[in-house]
Amino acid sequence: MAKPRPVTGIDPARRVRPNARKILAARIDEVYEYDGLVANPANITDLHNMRIAFKRLRYLLEIFEAAFGAPFLDQVKSMQDLLGDIHDCDVQVPMLEAHLAWLERQEATSVERMLTGARRTHSPEDQSVALERFRSRLEAARRTDERPGIHTLIAMRRAQRIALYTQFTNAWRRLKHERFRQRLEHAVGIR
Amino acid sequence: MARAWEVNDLAPNARFRDAAGRIVLTRWREMMSYREGTLAGEDIEELHAMRVSSRRLRAAMDAFVDVFPARSFRRYLREVKRITDTLGDARDLDVAIDHLTVLLPDLEPIDRPGLEGLIDRYEQQRRAEDAQIHALFVRLDQEAFGARFEAWVATHTGIDVDQLQPGPSGSD
Repeated sequence: MAKPRPVTGIDPARRVRPNARKILAARIDEVYEYDGLVANPANITDLHNMRIAFKRLRYLLEIFEAAFGAPFLDQVKSMQDLLGDIHDCDVQVPMLEAHLAWLERQEATSVERMLTGARRTHSPEDQSVALERFRSRLEAARRTDERPGIHTLIAMRRAQRIALYTQFTNAWRRLKHERFRQRLEHAVGIR
Repeated sequence: MARAWEVNDLAPNARFRDAAGRIVLTRWREMMSYREGTLAGEDIEELHAMRVSSRRLRAAMDAFVDVFPARSFRRYLREVKRITDTLGDARDLDVAIDHLTVLLPDLEPIDRPGLEGLIDRYEQQRRAEDAQIHALFVRLDQEAFGARFEAWVATHTGIDVDQLQPGPSGSD
């Protein structure tokens, strides 16, 4: 996660407004630093960093609400939420893939344990009965039935991610078209 | 999401230092108001509200960083971050379990065992998170973190929490 840039020239003895303007100006800058980078849907880290930048801006608008009245809070929050949903997909897909790998490891361990047990047991029973029992234990040890659902979830998340990214680019384009930055800066007295 | 507590007597033209004390102490008390509910673990919304408040507190501390001495600030912020992160891990699992549980009935039968297995795994991980949360708050109690934090904020902002009287109903 990108660290917030330190803001210089803050004087705690002064009033809230002049200090808050400096902090807000820095955080608005940080949001716009990712403007070009998020045009590529594969730039996961930049999308995540832009979400954090929006989150910081949103909290600042809330913190300084008494001084400025929290202008554009809904728009900022909605961008943060949208980028948050994209981030959830970006995090969940690798997690689900890791879960598939975990299932495989669990299965390998169970089968290995079963085979070790079978080698130790010298059952006098009929070979076909023993084979049948081995087969049913093997089936129980395997976790193949759990895989289709995880693959379905991965496909759902990927499709959702594409739709969310389109939503995000449309919303971001609209905000810029509506001169969001200039209007926000004007509302808090930066310009 | 739980509403943020109103900050008592916060004037639009307040001094930056004064605002810092009022806001940080209000967010601190707001966060701690969910502590018992979170530890009881009967309603996942309590933990969610505590986490949201902890993020508000962290954001307020970041905003007012220049009011406090750098060294002690880093120490207190680190502890607040630890609270947010610990609650966050549990919350992420609560959300995932809830989401998968809602999704389950709409899936094809062939997909269900996978989700049931995943829910089961997340529930096991979630139980382990409870132990982490308990351990964190036991340690904070032992170290009297709350009293020290409130005294530290008072020293550097001049705002006393007993006079401020933060609460959910605003300026009572």
